[in-house]
Amino acid sequence: MDSLNRQILYINLEKNESEAKTFSELRSYIGGVGLGLKLLSIYKNEDPIIFSVGPLNGFFPFASKTSVVFQNEGSVEDIYFGGSLSFRLKFLGVDAVILSGVSKNPTVINIDDTVSFMKMNEDIKFHGLPGKRSILSLEEKGLFLDGFFQPPERILEQKFVEKNIKSIIFTGSKTFPIINEERYQQIYTEILSRINEMSVQKGDSPSCSGCPMGCLNSGVGEIGGNILVHCLVGCSFAEKIYSDVGTVFSCLNVLGYDYTHEDIENAPRLIAEILAEFS
Amino acid sequence: MSKVVLKVKFPGNCNGCELCVMEVQKQAGKIGLDGSLIRILRENDSGGLSFVVDMDPKVNEVDIEKIAKICPTGVFEIQDLVEENNGLLE
Repeated sequence: MDSLNRQILYINLEKNESEAKTFSELRSYIGGVGLGLKLLSIYKNEDPIIFSVGPLNGFFPFASKTSVVFQNEGSVEDIYFGGSLSFRLKFLGVDAVILSGVSKNPTVINIDDTVSFMKMNEDIKFHGLPGKRSILSLEEKGLFLDGFFQPPERILEQKFVEKNIKSIIFTGSKTFPIINEERYQQIYTEILSRINEMSVQKGDSPSCSGCPMGCLNSGVGEIGGNILVHCLVGCSFAEKIYSDVGTVFSCLNVLGYDYTHEDIENAPRLIAEILAEFS
Repeated sequence: MSKVVLKVKFPGNCNGCELCVMEVQKQAGKIGLDGSLIRILRENDSGGLSFVVDMDPKVNEVDIEKIAKICPTGVFEIQDLVEENNGLLE
């Protein structure tokens, strides 16, 4: 895992083209909403939708959300998707996916090791790899991930309509080695045992990947919330766990990130500075 | 000789959290979905989202107790094949 650089998949909807980009100067924004907002400021003239994950997605329990940022009628929106999307993005090997511009025709985007733009008459169920894919699709009743998980409110759905995106299939096939197995397992078990600190009750709904709760809120996503938690990208209901700088530092450290406590504490200030650019 | 195996006892309980996938992959020294001995398939043909637990028999070569234990909804059961077959395997 590259702890210094951020891997970005840039998709130009107008030209049906994609490009893998590496940014070396985005480390301070950690990931998730921090990374997403910085990319939004870089690409703001292209009116992008930016999906981003954080360093803990795929690695630690309750880090189960995907950040989505975009501009809506002059305002910057940050919303958070549940379901399996954060795992699929992480295992695509990217930190963020940028959807830039507007497609000339209704489009279906298939993202795995490559990016392809499919014809509308193809059955999306036959694309992507079972067990490793998530399908985000504009349906009659709204925008759904795997037919169940939705973003909060309907603003992202409107953005998909504007950009002529019908569906996106994400397939994550990359794996990462565990650097310090013993320490990693210790921290993982410790966090999972803090289930009583979750501010939501267990339920019998479909759960987000990496979260055992199956809570009643899993299907509706989140909007706004704790900046650090959403840089990582943890679930809001795990705020007690992932707003604890000591815990966060341990998690990042065992994954090979060289952040200091000060770096982690500074992230909200950097994000406030980006937001000020938009106001 | 006793042989214990991991069975999917209550497939309908699966909530799709994929903690079992993470566990089996961790035991293989990696993080990710590729090459996992357990896959969680998503199905939503009937209007709701449901999950199918797809297991490679090789899963019985890893620590299956840890896999059964990590599942929050009790999908798995560890079965003793000798008992199941009235000692015929011995």
